[in-house]
Amino acid sequence: MTALRLADAAEGIAREAGLLAAGRPAVLLWQAEAPALVVPAAWARRASFVEAGAECARLGWPVLARSSGGGGVPQGPAVLNLAIVLPAAGLTLEAGYGLICGAFREALTRFEIASGTGPVEGAFCDGRWNVTVAGRKLVGTAQRWSAAEGRRTALIHAAMLLDRPEPRFWEALGHVHRAAGLRVDPKPEAHLAVSEILPRTMRPGALIGAVARAAEDRLAAALGESSPAA
Amino acid sequence: MATEIKIPADLWEEDEDAVITSWLVDDGAGVEQGALIAEIMTAKVQYEILAPASGIVRIKEEADAVVPKGAVIGTVE
Repeated sequence: MTALRLADAAEGIAREAGLLAAGRPAVLLWQAEAPALVVPAAWARRASFVEAGAECARLGWPVLARSSGGGGVPQGPAVLNLAIVLPAAGLTLEAGYGLICGAFREALTRFEIASGTGPVEGAFCDGRWNVTVAGRKLVGTAQRWSAAEGRRTALIHAAMLLDRPEPRFWEALGHVHRAAGLRVDPKPEAHLAVSEILPRTMRPGALIGAVARAAEDRLAAALGESSPAA
Repeated sequence: MATEIKIPADLWEEDEDAVITSWLVDDGAGVEQGALIAEIMTAKVQYEILAPASGIVRIKEEADAVVPKGAVIGTVE
């Protein structure tokens, strides 16, 4: 499996929503061609956000609102998104995070990269379930649980930095943070990217393939099936 | 008899609170059992709350309220 290349993050978010609505188990990897700074819709509704949004667009990071919470995150060619959709019956939030973080950690292990999970002070959209390398955030995660048609379904999402965001992203992120009333701006040094940790002889595509296989294996295991990739 | 609208108590293991991000019905609205009536957020998870019974919704905790797991956020009468 390779990552689907989509025009923009809005298309990726819409595809994920479609998979969640369909309620069938699935794994989706995608990357957006166009850069965007994706923020919670609650931020974008603030009156103070109009000016910040215009400033971000001027910096080359147009703002896109998403329905879920969290914080501002980059999207674009340097970000790999993984979505896993599965029935939520018997699942806990922690188990969902464990599943997707485990897929990334297993893939990283294949490249002899040690990783962990946990919060990272100063990281954007921080949470307890980041995948970290050397104490810095490599992968961020979130979930959306739907109850469409009386059937609980979980969409577990992760985004991994393939390359470090350019300096203008951090400037744009500062604008939206201040517009959202947050006093502390995220720090670039709290993050790292695949390009900084992958052995020089390895291509990012190899890691992306390993992430896809690990995700498919773990989804199959969660469903009690034998994996097609096994 | 009123049926409680509750934040699930067994959805997550930690003692982390949830935020009611939105009510999708107004106080006093009529709903059918199983209808989507609210959304909550905890630990970067967006979760949908369904009507536990058919009847009239009475909202006890407004949007943006921070509530523990197992909390009663409203009733259906």
